[in-house]
Amino acid sequence: MRRKSVALAAVALVMSTTAGCASLQSPATEVGGERMTDDRPVRDGGTLTVALNADPDKLDPTLAQTLVGRTVFAGMCEKLYDIDEHGTVIPQLAAALPTTSKDGRTVTFGLRKGLRFSDGTKLDADAAVTSLLRHRDLAGTARATELAPLAGAEATGPYTVKLTLKQAYVPLTAVLADRAGMVMSPAALKKYGKKFTNHPSCVGPFKYVERVGGDRIVLAKDPRYYAADQVHLDKVIYKPIPDGNVRLANLRSGDIQVGDQMTPVDVRGALTEPGLQLFNSPSLGYQGIGLNVGNVKGLGEKPGRIDTPLAREPKVREAFELAIDRDLINKVVFQGMYEPACGPVSPESAIAPGVKASACPGRDVARAKRLLREAGVKTPVRIELKVSTTPESSRLGQVVQAMTKEAGFAVTLRPTEYATMLEETDSGHYDAFTSGWSGRLDPDGNIASFLRTRGAMNAYGLSDRAIDRLVERGRAEADPEERGKIYAELTRRANERRGLVYLYRQKNYVVAGKNVAGVRVFGDGLVRVTTAGYAR
Amino acid sequence: MSLSLKTARPVPVRLSPMTSYLLTRIRQSLITLVLVSMVVFAGIRALPGDPALALAGEERSPAALAAIRADYGLDDNIAVQYGRFIGHAITGDLGTSSRTGLPVADAITAALPVTLELAALSLLLAVVVGIGAGIVAAVRRGRPEEWLANALALLGLSVPTFWLGMVLVLGFAIALPVFSASGYVPFAADPPDNLRRMVLPAVVLGSGLAAVVMRQTRAAMLDSLSADYVRTARAKGLSRREVIGTHALRNSLVTVVTVLGLQLGHLISGAVVTEQIFVLPGFGKLTIDAVFTRDYATLQGVVLCTSAAYILINLLVDVAYSLIDPRIRLGGAR
Repeated sequence: MRRKSVALAAVALVMSTTAGCASLQSPATEVGGERMTDDRPVRDGGTLTVALNADPDKLDPTLAQTLVGRTVFAGMCEKLYDIDEHGTVIPQLAAALPTTSKDGRTVTFGLRKGLRFSDGTKLDADAAVTSLLRHRDLAGTARATELAPLAGAEATGPYTVKLTLKQAYVPLTAVLADRAGMVMSPAALKKYGKKFTNHPSCVGPFKYVERVGGDRIVLAKDPRYYAADQVHLDKVIYKPIPDGNVRLANLRSGDIQVGDQMTPVDVRGALTEPGLQLFNSPSLGYQGIGLNVGNVKGLGEKPGRIDTPLAREPKVREAFELAIDRDLINKVVFQGMYEPACGPVSPESAIAPGVKASACPGRDVARAKRLLREAGVKTPVRIELKVSTTPESSRLGQVVQAMTKEAGFAVTLRPTEYATMLEETDSGHYDAFTSGWSGRLDPDGNIASFLRTRGAMNAYGLSDRAIDRLVERGRAEADPEERGKIYAELTRRANERRGLVYLYRQKNYVVAGKNVAGVRVFGDGLVRVTTAGYAR
Repeated sequence: MSLSLKTARPVPVRLSPMTSYLLTRIRQSLITLVLVSMVVFAGIRALPGDPALALAGEERSPAALAAIRADYGLDDNIAVQYGRFIGHAITGDLGTSSRTGLPVADAITAALPVTLELAALSLLLAVVVGIGAGIVAAVRRGRPEEWLANALALLGLSVPTFWLGMVLVLGFAIALPVFSASGYVPFAADPPDNLRRMVLPAVVLGSGLAAVVMRQTRAAMLDSLSADYVRTARAKGLSRREVIGTHALRNSLVTVVTVLGLQLGHLISGAVVTEQIFVLPGFGKLTIDAVFTRDYATLQGVVLCTSAAYILINLLVDVAYSLIDPRIRLGGAR
């Protein structure tokens, strides 16, 4: 036992050393706390280049899927609602928060007056209705699930919209604070149809200028924007630079001014540079290990019985979780720069705070072994863990492999590229895989699609009536305190079933040149550049 | 009737050996291109990972997937898909990127000049440095100049591209900011800025090729310098410059041009890593992005164009051969 612990510690030491020698020199306190903005005064003019970790997909709010795409939209497509630095929903294109009928099935909101799209046409209630219905109905829409409860939308006045719901749907306001709440110019939609993606026109501080696939997306200041006096930059250029080392080198050379989604290793490197500054905010998402507990026929199909010890025996899954040390994973793999997690909802959620890291179960190898004995399974329990091809994912897999070995598991790692992983996990051809979600404002966005029976992203094959009932109750319950209780119960139940073993929560790390101010990075992880500029 | 047939018979055209050789090679190249397009098309579809799933993202219900497959024609028979692709490709329409919604032809048109410029600069560097160093190494055999050239060639061959790129960025874009670390500006728009951004990538990509060219030139030159015709040239009293430049080098170039032709194709495909390091929006970057997102339309467009480039380069190399060595031309004509 002692020898195994020493071996585990040695693996941890070697991995932390290879992960980044800088971590041994820089105390973690340098990146502790949160820093979401820099309010120094800025001068007018200039071009800001923001490096993204991937090329965004379609620049059409109805079809868009990626987090990097949301960052670009934050510069050119405002939403009915937005969030502030506390994660609280605030009106953006809407004039005020919506009012909801007593039965929760009618939602009404007003729009700000005098707004114009980048093509010069007027934003009114008809435009909002057109966009909402397009988000729900367009073939191939990516907003269908989140707007599924929407039965109808109508303009009841020039600036008033009434939404009719199939059932009470409290998460709607948070949904409208994301892409489903983006209002597109009806004139542009009519003119370009599905090619709107090449000519996007919304209300925003910047308007679309051009896109060169794989190279850049260029936005220019929109003089028609209702708060144009608060916009200082002339242009914003978004450049996809997938490699973290290259992003950091470009920050250091001054070729880019903002680096989005920096990894802990890159952040450590950035901290040694006097000309760079760090923004960070807690993520609303989660990361963990998905376990196949009933996905026999594929996503959306009826879950069934899988005859592996992991799927068959809840005690085996519990033992697997007890063999894992979340704190050590955070320290070894992520240099202590993320947060251990054991639930789908962030403790920072302003709507229904989730389980705090301190409440997560600790590692208990003795109990894990006992559970395996009680389950009567043959040890070692063999599990194939699919990990993505990023260095962080590989290191996570190696640490999990070393930890669980001690308890009686034999984990083999299979690095799998993204698209293949998606196909294999959706079709149920896996034991376990590294699974994560960037997070949504409302807890429902982190839960319903993943944990509900036949949910749109329930690749685990999880099916639990109690969870299904709690999801529905959470959606219908308007009282924040009651909602909090429902999601606490949901988390407890999900952790009992263990379709997904939650491990850690990332932080949104953004590095910028010190000559840049006014950038904002909130819990949704988007880089907001509306008020950004070069410091005076 | 027979008379009219005789009248309609085309008058046989006597082609010169060079034209005949060229036509044969062009015909062979077109057949190769069609075969390559079939292999590429089938090969891409054999990749694991469903493009509809990659596109669907958060909406992976059977209905959503069916809508995506119908939209992009992914549920059609592969032969139908190929027919549609090739039919459109002939008219210059390579489809629309399933990821970005941008026309593939536009993406390729934007990426092609970047990679071609990078390849051309790298080739220039490789030719100038490689052939120069190769001649010096052969002529100064057994002396420090040869050891230095060999050491540089070994370095050029063994240093990993990614490492060399990062070191050059650290040295010449950060510590000594002479060059730019990333991005592309067309030469026509701003020549100095273009070169500021392209020199480091060209050095990274061209260093390996320069090493290969140097070694080939050195070996070929050593053979030539010990050949009878060079001894004869010397005996005739030709100057050292004429012996090396006109006789030895010209004969050595057949081997070197062969290597360059083969390596030029590698330059285009090998630009992948260099383009990632220097964030150049070229073919390599386009290909990688398309592979990871299962963007079939972009991927098959890019691979088809790259294959066409390979075939064209091979054709040009063959033509260059025939110009350098007339025996090849005549042999081809027969």
